[in-house]
Amino acid sequence: MSFHVSRPASGTQTLWRVLLYSILIFFALIYLAPLYVMVITSLKSLDEIRAGNLMLPPLDPNFDAWAKSWSAACVGVECSGISRYFFNSFKMAIPAVAISTFMGAFNGYVLTKWRFKGADIVFALILFGCFIPFQIVLVPMATILGWLGLAQTTPGLILVHVTYGLCFTTLFFRNYYQAFPDELIRAAKLDGAGFFQTFWRVLLPNSLPIVVVTVIWQFTNIWNDFLFGASFASGNAAPMTVALNNVVNTSTSVKEYNVDMASAIYAALPTLIVYVLAGRYFVRGLMAGAVKG
Amino acid sequence: MASLEVENVVKRFGPVEALKGINLSADDGEFLVLVGPSGCGKSTLLNMIAGLDSITEGRIIIDGQVVNDVHPKDRDMAMVFQSYALYPNMTVERNISFGMEMRKVPKPERDKAVMEVAKLLQIEGLLKRRPGQLSGGQRQRVAMGRALVRNPKIFLFDEPLSNLDAKLRVEMRTEIKKLHQRLGTTIVYVTHDQIEAMTLATRIAVMQNGELHQFGAPQEIYDRPANTFVAGFMGSPPMNLIPARIGKNGAGVNAEIATADERTLRLQLNGQAASLENRVNSEVLVGLRPEAITDPESRDAGAIIQEVECLVEVTEPTGPDMLAVLRLGGIEAVSRMRSSSRVRPGERAKFAVNMSKAVLFDPETEQRI
Ligand SMILES: Nc1ncnc2c1ncn2[C@@H]1O[C@H](COP(=O)(O)OP(=O)(O)O)[C@@H](O)[C@H]1O
Ligand SMILES: [Mg+2]
Repeated sequence: MSFHVSRPASGTQTLWRVLLYSILIFFALIYLAPLYVMVITSLKSLDEIRAGNLMLPPLDPNFDAWAKSWSAACVGVECSGISRYFFNSFKMAIPAVAISTFMGAFNGYVLTKWRFKGADIVFALILFGCFIPFQIVLVPMATILGWLGLAQTTPGLILVHVTYGLCFTTLFFRNYYQAFPDELIRAAKLDGAGFFQTFWRVLLPNSLPIVVVTVIWQFTNIWNDFLFGASFASGNAAPMTVALNNVVNTSTSVKEYNVDMASAIYAALPTLIVYVLAGRYFVRGLMAGAVKG
Repeated sequence: MASLEVENVVKRFGPVEALKGINLSADDGEFLVLVGPSGCGKSTLLNMIAGLDSITEGRIIIDGQVVNDVHPKDRDMAMVFQSYALYPNMTVERNISFGMEMRKVPKPERDKAVMEVAKLLQIEGLLKRRPGQLSGGQRQRVAMGRALVRNPKIFLFDEPLSNLDAKLRVEMRTEIKKLHQRLGTTIVYVTHDQIEAMTLATRIAVMQNGELHQFGAPQEIYDRPANTFVAGFMGSPPMNLIPARIGKNGAGVNAEIATADERTLRLQLNGQAASLENRVNSEVLVGLRPEAITDPESRDAGAIIQEVECLVEVTEPTGPDMLAVLRLGGIEAVSRMRSSSRVRPGERAKFAVNMSKAVLFDPETEQRI
């Protein structure tokens, strides 16, 4: 900045600051407003909600709606709460994230450190997968899951997410390993480490930043996915996102906005927690890949 | 302990010929240095010896056995990499013992070997640290430790000192030489620094653009460079290469150097007269090391000395001695004088040229005559 600052904290400078912060706070409020409404609505009783006053804090905050959502809300015809689907999502997301991350790392290793003829073409083809829209793979996926007998099951959904996520995880790891010093791999080779030992003992332990990036990316995408879940696991194996949709769309006599909001917060909580815990590494990991090369 | 032979080794990366038929050998216990400007193929050759790069053509032989198809881990070599290549996730101790661990050496034996090496290199205090917590010099030691602990047949060093500051570099150079004297293991050492090559080697291989220019003992390479490239690359400041014409008069064979004022400066070549008879009247390059042109008081005894008077252009005191850039005939030459020398820039002074040290090159082929 090239202000002519002769005295410390001159008038113009303070003015700029105030203006800057006002704008930042204004936008932050706009972004936070939906979350605010969700949280206060989930803490209100139905009567209070019906009275209007969308933005006012609850008169008598309580977790009744949260409890009902967890164990008694109607998901479609069954009224035993969303907890089961919450765990469905974990049962699906954790293996899917783990497998796709691991396989991405392995692909990256082979594509950069054990280069074979045509490695670049293979990588280009994998990269191509990143640009295929969800909708295009729905029908072929359904056919394949049918063949495998995995339709409407959690393992089937895991397979779908691993397949779809592999392009991204491979891209992340390949680019990270591209900048990973070859001399380390050579040193391991001379030290007598084999193909897998080099991967396990040398490459993977030095991949934390990119593992964090990949896990966050994959977890968010897989947890938040609705289309694959609705298409390939709509019944008892349905993930949280599909269940949430069913909670909201269940046509009972009254619309329980507080229960809907609580359910939505449950659905958003895991990704939120992942970001809060690992977000710092996320940015750092993205940078590390960028700067190192 | 082992001998090494490199026979007609060629390396191609696609259409690029990185090594163009290299022939080398190292006897048991030798310290072989590969030296040359960066990009000349030194690392490639070293990696091929280690088995990390495939051999396009030719053979590499260790102890009389062709190892072209032997896996690197079975060649019993250890390497110190230019970047040190320490595993960032492991402690110094684990770094050093990783090779033994991979070879399934039992833990107590590993610990003992690590302690021995740590003591030898004085890094006992660093064993629990990670590479990120070490200085450059310490990392260098750990990298050496990782190689030493394996007690291999041959040590390979790829520019191990090039990332250190000047002072540490000289210290570690001496330590590596001591280590070699103590262990007596065959070493192949890559560097682009000709001083390192001169100080460490029992034999030097000078390379450029994938070609081996000269292979011999350090003094031989210094005194009798095979061609003008070697003459210019080895030695600092480099050998003076002075264009001249071979002439013959009553006193014998001379190198005639044209001067600016149209007189001819004649340097006697009587020492090599026989081989020059058929080159009379042809052009040559006279190669003279800076220390072969010096002040008359410090001339070598017992050599063929010729005194010439030259214009001094610049003087550069280095401390132990003084370099003077002078006009020898028409061209600039560097001479090495005693630091007490009283020559002044812009003045003419007498110099003693040691003609028994002169080497002649053919200006066309650039090869030594
Ligand atoms: N993997 C490779 N692919 C293509 N060319 C290479 C490869 N490795 C080295 N080269 C080329 O081979 C030549 C020698 O490289 P290198 O052995 O690293 O040189 P030095 O160690 O002497 O500096 C260089 O021109 C380099 O560009
Ligand atoms: Mg090199």
